[in-house]
Amino acid sequence: MEPVCSRLAALLGSCMLSIACVQGASAGAALPVAGIVVKGAWSSTSDSLSAVPERGTLTDQAYRNAYFDLEYSLSRDWTQLYDGPPPSDRGYYVLAQLEPAGLSQNSRGHVLIAAQDMFFASIPAKNALELINFYKEHLDVDYRIESAPAEARFAGHSFVRFDYASPVAKLHWRLLATEIRCHIVQFIFTSGSVRQIESLMENMKTMKLPNEAGPTPVCIENFANAENLIERADPVFSEPRFNPVPVRIVIDTQGRVKHIHFLSAFPEQVNSISDALSQWRFKPYVLDGRSVEVETGIVFGREPHSTASARR
Amino acid sequence: MANYANHFKLLSQFREQLIPPEAQAQAQEMGMKKPVEFASALVLSTAFIFPLAALSQADPGIRPGPINGQPGASPTSPLPLASVGSNSPTGILDFFDNGLGRFQEQEVVSGGANNGLGPRFNLNSCSGCHAQPSVGGSGPPNNPEFQAISAGIASGATNTLPSFITAHGPTVEARFPFFTNSNGAPNTSAPNGGVENIFTVSGRSDAGSCSLQQPNFEQAQQNNNIIFRVPTPTFGAGLIENIDDSTLIANQAGQAGNNFGINGTFNRNGNDGTIARFGWKAQNKSLLLFAAEAYNVEMGITNEIFAQERPLPQEEQAGGLPANCLNLSGNGYPEDATNFQVSANSDQGAQNAQVPSDIVLFAEFMRLLAPPVPSMNTPGGEESISNGFALFKSIGCSTCHTPAIRSTQPSNVSASLGNAVVRAFSDFEIHHMGTGLADNISQGGAGGDQFRTAPLWGLGQRIFLLHDGRTTNLLTAIAAHRSSGSEATQVEENFASLKAGQQQEILNFLRSL
Repeated sequence: MEPVCSRLAALLGSCMLSIACVQGASAGAALPVAGIVVKGAWSSTSDSLSAVPERGTLTDQAYRNAYFDLEYSLSRDWTQLYDGPPPSDRGYYVLAQLEPAGLSQNSRGHVLIAAQDMFFASIPAKNALELINFYKEHLDVDYRIESAPAEARFAGHSFVRFDYASPVAKLHWRLLATEIRCHIVQFIFTSGSVRQIESLMENMKTMKLPNEAGPTPVCIENFANAENLIERADPVFSEPRFNPVPVRIVIDTQGRVKHIHFLSAFPEQVNSISDALSQWRFKPYVLDGRSVEVETGIVFGREPHSTASARR
Repeated sequence: MANYANHFKLLSQFREQLIPPEAQAQAQEMGMKKPVEFASALVLSTAFIFPLAALSQADPGIRPGPINGQPGASPTSPLPLASVGSNSPTGILDFFDNGLGRFQEQEVVSGGANNGLGPRFNLNSCSGCHAQPSVGGSGPPNNPEFQAISAGIASGATNTLPSFITAHGPTVEARFPFFTNSNGAPNTSAPNGGVENIFTVSGRSDAGSCSLQQPNFEQAQQNNNIIFRVPTPTFGAGLIENIDDSTLIANQAGQAGNNFGINGTFNRNGNDGTIARFGWKAQNKSLLLFAAEAYNVEMGITNEIFAQERPLPQEEQAGGLPANCLNLSGNGYPEDATNFQVSANSDQGAQNAQVPSDIVLFAEFMRLLAPPVPSMNTPGGEESISNGFALFKSIGCSTCHTPAIRSTQPSNVSASLGNAVVRAFSDFEIHHMGTGLADNISQGGAGGDQFRTAPLWGLGQRIFLLHDGRTTNLLTAIAAHRSSGSEATQVEENFASLKAGQQQEILNFLRSL
């Protein structure tokens, strides 16, 4: 009974929050009962027009993500009750957390849509297959592999599929990963029933995905190097911080930084790095005889440890 | 079938305890060869007979038995690490004992043996708040703050108990996330976050003419501009302190393959960039810093790390503490200092232990405290606890609540602190915990919704749960891990996906710690 009660309490809490917000607004004094006002290192962008991975939306029973040019339809009574956390300082995104809206959801599983940036990943994987193989090789002994990583196709797109289960928890996982625009996007289905989990995966077939040939801009890792940089200025930080600041930038066809996406940065770091990047000039990147936009990643501050170097 | 067999065995145990003999006989007639069918029948039977008792899961509550799972420990005498108990190196046990004594000393403002309390404070001793299940722990069942006025620690003529201080509620410190405008409304452009002490020394006979007002807690509550923190237990703290950063980083790397949406980071010390690890947001680097800050903030006692009296944040903006509230002990600052002159003692170790300041001995006491010892069979029995641990790992709890970190650095203090496995059930990272738990206090690199993974060792005998002690029920605490912005939502979803019996096994496991 408790999970049902918990969900009722959570729903009730959400209602209470809404009420509190309204009351607080009318009184002009009270803070919301729950909410994140004071943020630490957080994500932000230099402009509001460019799409970023974490700003997907759930509308008309579909999860849409303009950055990935992705649309995933939800079953009729499914929704997202809880948004994911902000992007991590190693380029990991929780894009969506989907579950049945009703109170009987516990037995019906849930879906996590996540993405791993290929510029900042701590895992030594260059593509979806390598990432999934990494997962498989590091799967805890408490799990049982139900189906080894193998290629699968959904909606005309190539995925790597990996099936595993927890015998003790009697839960099954289906992990599907594919590469879209500098990221490995993952769909992770969890359920206690194999039949249900296969049913959940049906929506994958009608998903809309970008052309596999790849959209512009071109993704190039470590593009911000001495070979490509014509001018650069280092950011001047106002106070010492020891966090990594992963920054994804889009360079226009003239070699200027046209878009900055901070995955995780304190406000003063955002200001300093934005000032510096506005002064950077790159050699225009030429592909098939014409200049094209480039998307790349740069880490300011403390370099995060990679899994390969830190693992013992 | 092995797992079905386990659950069948557990169901059989429940049957023996809860189901009348006639119902048992009816079930037996159905045969034992089809455990699933039998279990279903049993469920139906129990649903009619004991609709809640047989099927619902429940927090077993505080685990009975030895304090911290350590025979020989008492509420006022927690056990030291094994090598410390053996007095190795010679004299260390004197430091532990002296630290234990100072941890329990009752401070006064002036004229006594232990001076310096105030001018603002939450209580007058470390052990008053760090008391459950013994000295060094977390908040006790009877809130000592509720008794502060009746016990004469704070004057009732000039202090009132805020409504959030209740007789059997959590022992807390209060913080205001934001400074307020002139009309009392919180100004979200002006983060505050400092501790707002509950009591003042005003009205005490040893506090002279110092006259201070308590913070306006009522207004802060009306505006939701107040959050609470309960004391963190300190058992095994020396082991935590002695983990090398590279070991924590390697542990973090091992989390990279999780598919639960978890991706934490470390709260690094602002001075040298190394990993801080104490406090609810891992904001404190060392036990010495932790002790010194608490002495200054919770009791108002200046010391060799925090040498100035601390006005409330808003009080400081208004010019600081009034002159008649400074140097109340009459001894100058810091009020706690190294004891350059001590009484001669034929026991050299005991004499040596008198020399350090209080904060050094507080830190030594915490550093040398033994970690809690989990029970292998209580509550629920060995098999249930074992299953619960396996489930705890399988659904993803152990991604953050790392069962064991191997191993500590070699120790220059005592052998038990070196090359030891730390079974704290924490990764000592900070994680986004979402809107439901966010307290909007930033400390070091931790933002308003980021918290250190709370170590779970000793959880079996802890009363108040989560950073603010909002619940005493493990199920409520687990459910609170899920909210918008939380890294733990998927794991909590997995917990919710389990059957009631499986959840019970996890609860049993948690209370075995």
